[in-house]
Amino acid sequence: MELSTVIVIGVLVLLGFYLVSTYNRLVKLRNQVRNGWRQIDVQLKRRHDLIPNLVETVKDYMGYEQETLRQVIEARSRAVATEGKGPEEALPAEQMLSGALGRLFALMENYPDLKANQNVARLMEELSSTENRIAFSRQHYNDSVMAKNTAVESFPSNLVARLFGFRHAAYFQIDTQERAVPKVSLR
Amino acid sequence: MPARISCPYCGAENRQGASTCRLCGDPLSAEAGFRPAAQRKLLRRTDFVAAARANRQATTRLVLLLLAIGAGLGYVVGWNLEIFLGDAIRVADSYRAYEQPGHDSIWFLSAWGLWGMAIVLSLSVVWTLIALRQGDRIVLRITGARPVTVDEEPVLHNVVEEMAIAAGIPKPQVVVIETEALNAFATGLSTRRSAVGVTRGLLEALDRDELQGVIGHELGHIVNLDMRYATAVSTLVGLIALVADAAWRVVYVSGRAGAARRVGGRPGGRGGGGGAAVAILILFLVAALAPVFAKLVQMAVSRQREFLADATSVRLTRNPHGLISALEKLSQQAAPFPGANRATQHLFIVNPFKHFPEKASRLMATHPPLEARIRRLGNLGG
Repeated sequence: MELSTVIVIGVLVLLGFYLVSTYNRLVKLRNQVRNGWRQIDVQLKRRHDLIPNLVETVKDYMGYEQETLRQVIEARSRAVATEGKGPEEALPAEQMLSGALGRLFALMENYPDLKANQNVARLMEELSSTENRIAFSRQHYNDSVMAKNTAVESFPSNLVARLFGFRHAAYFQIDTQERAVPKVSLR
Repeated sequence: MPARISCPYCGAENRQGASTCRLCGDPLSAEAGFRPAAQRKLLRRTDFVAAARANRQATTRLVLLLLAIGAGLGYVVGWNLEIFLGDAIRVADSYRAYEQPGHDSIWFLSAWGLWGMAIVLSLSVVWTLIALRQGDRIVLRITGARPVTVDEEPVLHNVVEEMAIAAGIPKPQVVVIETEALNAFATGLSTRRSAVGVTRGLLEALDRDELQGVIGHELGHIVNLDMRYATAVSTLVGLIALVADAAWRVVYVSGRAGAARRVGGRPGGRGGGGGAAVAILILFLVAALAPVFAKLVQMAVSRQREFLADATSVRLTRNPHGLISALEKLSQQAAPFPGANRATQHLFIVNPFKHFPEKASRLMATHPPLEARIRRLGNLGG
């Protein structure tokens, strides 16, 4: 065999190795992103399940806050309706629920009896842990998205990505509006 | 003129004239800072991702160094064996390969040495694999940790679950050690089967944010597979110690072989002169120094992994202040820790032997000084 043939075969083999390993890496990253979204879904579901208990427990103490409680229930049912759908649909409903819950938590500060209640304390811990979990799963999701997008964009793995149709993944973003402090009307 | 200069990276005080920082190892003077400047800037500017990368590189270098020590030791042993035993065997077979011209062109080239190297390297691979297959659950028994249910410790369970979600791994088993001392540890050879433990004193002393930082550090150990590292490295160190032991025997044997040769009066035998003397001198040196160096490397790896776990904790919590204030509380603790011993000390978040850093050399410490860790975390937050 000619030396040049050996070199050509060697280069082809190396190229094949690179193709296979890059493809597998991209698949892994894609699955990580998908799994990341499922994890967020699990935590959102958990939050939906916890809210009726909380509302039931605090109802008796917070007779004057019917409006806030109603908002929470409404936001929850809207969020439940988007369960299992993609991030695009679930996001606005979940953000509304977060806002309503935040207002409820703030109001609960005014009721010392409520905070002394063991059941409520436990529910509050579970709910705030769930809020954390949602935040952390979102963080993990976004980290996975970043890893995948970096691989899809950077040379030379972007050539492999284009060849097999790997696309960008969408970040889980929070609207700046949602982050803003809720407006309080004193009228 | 100040008697001490402070490190530009971590801020530690160093004695005047020192070339590298005693805490972080960064060069102190401007001209010495030429090479690692890029790396230092990376660490300072870009947060945990760069910190983790720099750290992994450091660990890889240390493990390679350890392998090189083992390989070098194996080579020197094989080489000496060839000189002092190989010759005798060949003489007995009346086969004098060494008298063929051209064989001895490089005096330290030795086929047996290469074999020794290969044997040590393959032994370390096999031995490490065996060690990794052994149960990691022994640790839980040694430390006297007890698994707790969600109902017993809801907050601890929640924090562990939150951190596991942030790390994207299954939730580890949660255990508690009933002692007043403040400490935490992690174990597990894979992310699928792991455990996180904290002491009762820690649970009572820390608030939620601080606990989150500590649990993040422990999950960092799990995510970074530090138990695997620690097992592999300690196996290598053990193996090097063993081979060094064998080397002493070679010294003994070759001493006798040398004596026999002098008695037998076989002049002109290969290696009878300078080469053999140098070889045995090198063997002496290597057998004496290799285990010490290996131990130093092991401790350096352990310290690197602590820094890495701190950086990982910040990656998971995105909040260095929790871990910083937890470490500050840990550094002020008074309660002794009866459950810890030399075999498990490297597992804990801070060294369970309270006065260890003051008493022993920093080089032999399993953990970096707390001040250095806190300073690095402060850099990540800035």
